[in-house]
Amino acid sequence: MHKLIAALGLASILSLGVSPAALAAGEKVSVITPFLAAIATGEMIEAFKAKAAEYQWTVDVVDTAGDMAAFASRVEDATTSGANAIVLVSVDPAQIQDQVDKAKAAGVPVITIDGAKNASSVLNVTSDNYALGQTMTKFLFDQIGNKGNIVRFFYSAHPGVHQREVALDDALKATPDVKQVADHYVAVPGQVDDSRAAMDAMLLANPGDGAINAVWAAWDEPGIGAQLAIEAAGRKGIIIAGIDGNPQAIELIKGCTPYVGTVRQGFGEMAKIAADQLNLILAGGKPEKDELYAPVELITRESLGVTCN
Amino acid sequence: MTRTNLNRFGTLIAFVLLCIGFSIAAPTAFASPGNVFNLVQQMATLAIVATAATLVMTISEFDLSVGFSASLAAVICFVLFGQGYDVWLAVPAALLVGIVGGAANGVLVARFGIPSFVATLALGTILSGFAFGLSGGQSLFQSVPEAFKALGRGEILGIPVLGFWIVGVLGVAAFVLTQTEFGRRLKAIGGNAQAARLAGLPIVRDVIATFAIAGGLAALAGLLLASRLGSVQHTMGEPLLLPAYAAVFIGTTASPTGAPTVAGTLLGVAITGVMVNGMTIVGVEPFVQRILTGVIILVAVLVRRVGRAK
Repeated sequence: MHKLIAALGLASILSLGVSPAALAAGEKVSVITPFLAAIATGEMIEAFKAKAAEYQWTVDVVDTAGDMAAFASRVEDATTSGANAIVLVSVDPAQIQDQVDKAKAAGVPVITIDGAKNASSVLNVTSDNYALGQTMTKFLFDQIGNKGNIVRFFYSAHPGVHQREVALDDALKATPDVKQVADHYVAVPGQVDDSRAAMDAMLLANPGDGAINAVWAAWDEPGIGAQLAIEAAGRKGIIIAGIDGNPQAIELIKGCTPYVGTVRQGFGEMAKIAADQLNLILAGGKPEKDELYAPVELITRESLGVTCN
Repeated sequence: MTRTNLNRFGTLIAFVLLCIGFSIAAPTAFASPGNVFNLVQQMATLAIVATAATLVMTISEFDLSVGFSASLAAVICFVLFGQGYDVWLAVPAALLVGIVGGAANGVLVARFGIPSFVATLALGTILSGFAFGLSGGQSLFQSVPEAFKALGRGEILGIPVLGFWIVGVLGVAAFVLTQTEFGRRLKAIGGNAQAARLAGLPIVRDVIATFAIAGGLAALAGLLLASRLGSVQHTMGEPLLLPAYAAVFIGTTASPTGAPTVAGTLLGVAITGVMVNGMTIVGVEPFVQRILTGVIILVAVLVRRVGRAK
């Protein structure tokens, strides 16, 4: 009897958990990501939801917390449940090609934000990640006079992030006086804490003045972790640059910390472009191109009008 | 229905009620043949990893390396594909790595007396390092042969291929545990290892064999997952660990003795699979999904404890 009561109770709780929006009229759009914990991904999804509200779509957001198998399953669920469109955020659809193919076969348009082009998806809206990496790397190298030692925080599993790493590799080849003395593959989720721990170790392994001149962070959260470690260790003469235009990173730049620059990706803009293009697609039209880029912006102390002593 | 029957079949009843509830909430989506097809596919790899966990729990041990083994097997297979090796060589090689890794776990536990929790965590971490190193941290999805994709995709007579894997693997495991002397020995070891030793059972050999089988099953799950996705990440198997043990624990609530069984584990896998699938379809908020998944595990285990205490 206890189990029966428990099951009925569970069913009641389930009914409470049903999003009222799911019952509303309008186009149903499933937004699915493995990385909702990342600030940039969250920003994109919030911006997309805001734009979707203007279009009176019903948006279901699903996060699989880094689990790619669950991610594939949720794409299947969205296809089966009759979603009018599927939006994949911060992921390369080639990693779940079969599921994306099935969605296409079922007539459900798939678009990606901060993802990658794919034959079965209609559109990818992103930044030119190589250009992002190039912009940030050039800025960072200029700051250290194109000479010195850097450490790298990277995450090659993300196709966009990997492109930034390629830009760094190219810059290192072209600038032989800049040496990479250590690198760390960032754990996701938990990227800030993981990067802080890695930076702690790098500082201990490279204790002398000038042993590390700069931190190259493939995106801002590892840079923030590195900043915490540098601050705790009291080390001077190390600067950090990242990518994303994360609000916390911008505050650190304003605060005259070692964090000296970030490249704003315009995540909100990406999401708005994606929503506008999806509106076109849902009305039976086609996007302007199969890949669209949102504008980027280098943010530094100078651009923020901050003077540090 | 008597209290005894309710106690025994309560978990099954709860599963049926869940299905009915979701069918009412989303009649055209949840109860559709397409979704049942999806559910079978989605549950397959978890069912196989959970079966590995069931075997190890039968001897009262834990194997925390199953997720890592699954990842490494998949990475090895894709790396071999990338080097031009055929599917008939890459797949056995990857399975062999899983079996050898599992056997190493067994040796650490049975020969050296290291607690399985520690030994399998340590070895699993080593395996994850190899997976990371071999993949370079990147997602691998090039050069995948069609024959490999066929392992975990498509259908035969309208039934997903992965459904046949569930029936085959779990069927053999259930047969071994219930109908063979080896299975009875494993239960004896799990029930009272000291008594089993005094009775002259080959404990060391059986423990090593059990871990080796679990490693092989984990590797198989990793390969099927890679086949289904068409891509491999070096961490892809890790999220299978906790749901696998959750499924085993839920499954024990359906067992008359409270011991893990393959049938109970399948029920546990089905409950967790239906929960996530159904909640996604009816639009339950992501945070509520996580809370409810935790709640159902707690409720299942607590109800079982209360029921057995009476």
